Amino acid sequence: MSPRLPSLVLALPLLFGGWGAVAAPTGPATAPIPVGVLAVLDDQDTQRQWQPLLDGMSAALPNRRLQLHPLDPAGMERELAAGRLAFVITNPGHYVVIEARHGATRIATQTAAEGGDPAHAVGSAVVVRADRPLPRELMDLKDHRVAAVAEQAFGGYQLVAAEWSRQGIDAESGAVQRLFTGYPMTRVLDAVLQGQADAAILRTCLLERWVREGRVAAGALRVVAAQPDSRLPCQSSTPLYPGWAFAASPHVPPDLAREVALALLTLAPDAQGTRWSVPADYQRVHDVLRTLEVEPYAFLRATRLEALARRYWFVLGAVLAVLALGLLYTLRVEALVKRRTAELTRSLHERDRLARELEKDQEAMDHLSRLSILGELSATLGHELNQPLATIANYAASVQRRLTQGRLSDAALQQALQDIGSEADRAAHILEGIRALARKRVAQRRLSDPAQLAAEAVALFRGLQAHAPEVRLQVHPSCQGLAVLVDALQVQQVLLNLLKNALDAHRAASTDQAPLHCRLHAEAGQVCLAVEDAGPPLSHEQRSRLFEPFFTTKPDGLGLGLPICRTIVEAHGGALRARPVDELGRTGGMVFEVWLPVAPADPGPSRTPQEPLP
Amino acid sequence: MTPRPVPVIHVVDDDAAFLRSVLFMLEGCGFEAAGHATAEAFLDAAPALAPSGGCLLLDIRMPRMSGLELQRRLVESGSPFPIVFMTGHGDIEQAVQAMKGGALDFLQKPFKEQALLDTVNRAVEASVERQRLRARQAEARAVLERLSPREREVARLLALGLSNKEVARDLDISDHTVHVHRQRITEKTGSGHAADLARLLLRADPAGLDAG
Repeated sequence: MSPRLPSLVLALPLLFGGWGAVAAPTGPATAPIPVGVLAVLDDQDTQRQWQPLLDGMSAALPNRRLQLHPLDPAGMERELAAGRLAFVITNPGHYVVIEARHGATRIATQTAAEGGDPAHAVGSAVVVRADRPLPRELMDLKDHRVAAVAEQAFGGYQLVAAEWSRQGIDAESGAVQRLFTGYPMTRVLDAVLQGQADAAILRTCLLERWVREGRVAAGALRVVAAQPDSRLPCQSSTPLYPGWAFAASPHVPPDLAREVALALLTLAPDAQGTRWSVPADYQRVHDVLRTLEVEPYAFLRATRLEALARRYWFVLGAVLAVLALGLLYTLRVEALVKRRTAELTRSLHERDRLARELEKDQEAMDHLSRLSILGELSATLGHELNQPLATIANYAASVQRRLTQGRLSDAALQQALQDIGSEADRAAHILEGIRALARKRVAQRRLSDPAQLAAEAVALFRGLQAHAPEVRLQVHPSCQGLAVLVDALQVQQVLLNLLKNALDAHRAASTDQAPLHCRLHAEAGQVCLAVEDAGPPLSHEQRSRLFEPFFTTKPDGLGLGLPICRTIVEAHGGALRARPVDELGRTGGMVFEVWLPVAPADPGPSRTPQEPLP
Repeated sequence: MTPRPVPVIHVVDDDAAFLRSVLFMLEGCGFEAAGHATAEAFLDAAPALAPSGGCLLLDIRMPRMSGLELQRRLVESGSPFPIVFMTGHGDIEQAVQAMKGGALDFLQKPFKEQALLDTVNRAVEASVERQRLRARQAEARAVLERLSPREREVARLLALGLSNKEVARDLDISDHTVHVHRQRITEKTGSGHAADLARLLLRADPAGLDAG
């Protein structure tokens, strides 16, 4: 993020490791005392500007000889870290940096030639060409091209940048189009004069000096937002700050530092009129640098995230890890829930579909079963319909004969018509019973009287089965007043099947005309409808397979009757059981028992109107 | 033809309506008809019924006692009624059995009035014929009853065409004794000729000429 961050990180170990490694800072008294001077323009210029000062001091201090070392900020840093400098002369901004980083201590502050206050010696002047009306304020420079010598220049850039920052303009992120020309500062001036920039940032008094020296035409440039300040007779766009600092490195012996300081303070002003005064308070310089978040406050930018991250990386890591785990867990749970939900939905749909199919299959099976039993029963159905039809034909023929012979009595006609009518009804009822069985239908459960159900099934059986043997229906008193919630037609179908089976069993034993028994009784909340035959004995194997689909003992049987019966009965919450009449198997005969749960007592009419059946 | 008593047609069917319609039809044709709801009911009533040239229309399938069973019982008891069975179209096997058992005919339901009329008329004739035969048999038996056992034996041998001498030898008696027996037989039956005796014996019993 910030290019300054690595330098800080690298600098810290140098700082601490450097002091321990430093040799004795000063040699013998005759040895030259190294003085690092920040080179603003170039080494020669620096030499030319500062050598007189050092010479003067060397003269003032017996047995001391100060040696000038022009250094750029990086060189200064390197030499200080190596402990090879005793004193440093540098601008306020840079002083604050080395004070913080190397423990340098100012022993004097330079005053401006034009004023005597060391605490208000430096400011910045933002200059624009005088023929341009704008900008009037520093804020107006937003989105303008502004030339400056370097980003680290204190009077040449940082003071203005701090003002911008205080006014909410973030020059660094492009609110101002900055153009750094590099030293010397005349390049900045050239940029404005030649139109490469709209404005230029100059150290205070530089413009006035250049005008005096004739390098710039008077009135060609003007200073933006010039603030009059009595402490410095130069135009400044910013407040004034302390001047350059003369600082001692921490390993300079206090005596030497005191000697140098005294020499500085007592030195006569130089050619330009500048002199050294008591050390000023550099707090406001710190404020500027802190505002800009530059060295030594560059860590402020880092603090915001990186420094915190570096300091509390484990907490942050743990928090992030927990968050990540939580997120993963949430995602996983969500995915699982989604998948399970999908599975559940799918299986629910599947179950519904199967249930629907099963229902359809069940209805189809019921239908098939009804048709099947109809087919079996209606082998003799012709007979049964024959009876009423033959009766009607008999009457018709006879009435006709009597009529032609003129001896048809009213009484005879009455009898004939009465029987013809009732026989026609009988035939219709037989057909209706068959139609009801053959019709495809949806089961409808109603409260029904089991005795009535059995009686109707027996009547239907006898009606369908010409010359069927007698069916003896016995209803035990325990059934009195009980109702079952059933589909009457389905239960009749079951009973018809059982009666038909019983009849088949009798035929197999050549006891066609032996009576069948149908017995009803109630027990433990259930009604039992039992059909008993006297057929040939069944083997144990046959008995155990009775309810298997497609198992049959009859040559022309489908083997679906009993399985379907059982399905129907179980669908009613009941059970269909088979047992031999004689458990010891000494005689033949089976009892098929339909057990149906007794419906809760209903105060209303407990029986639904049933179709009259033959 | 000799005037005959009004024949009574007995009908046995468990289907009450059908029974009534058959009776109605028979009456419409001038017959006297009587209905019986079950085989048992008819069996109970049979001994008291005068044959009177009547016949029996019998439903072949009935609960409890079936038509075939009733037929068997009636034959056993020597009932004079010719039996016409009424069958459904699926009852061919039983109809065959019925015919083997001596049934006169069978009518398949539903039947035309004319078919009923024809069949019943034939049954009535058969009944009358059967009754005539029975009457002659009874007469012949009554005649034979007058003979002593020895006379019946002699008559049988004479009917087979044996001479007096052959009879005497067969029975190990004298010619004279045979002659006396023959005289008695002629007195009692009205004829001593072999052909007459043979007719008499066969009328009394179709197996009457076999060795006793």
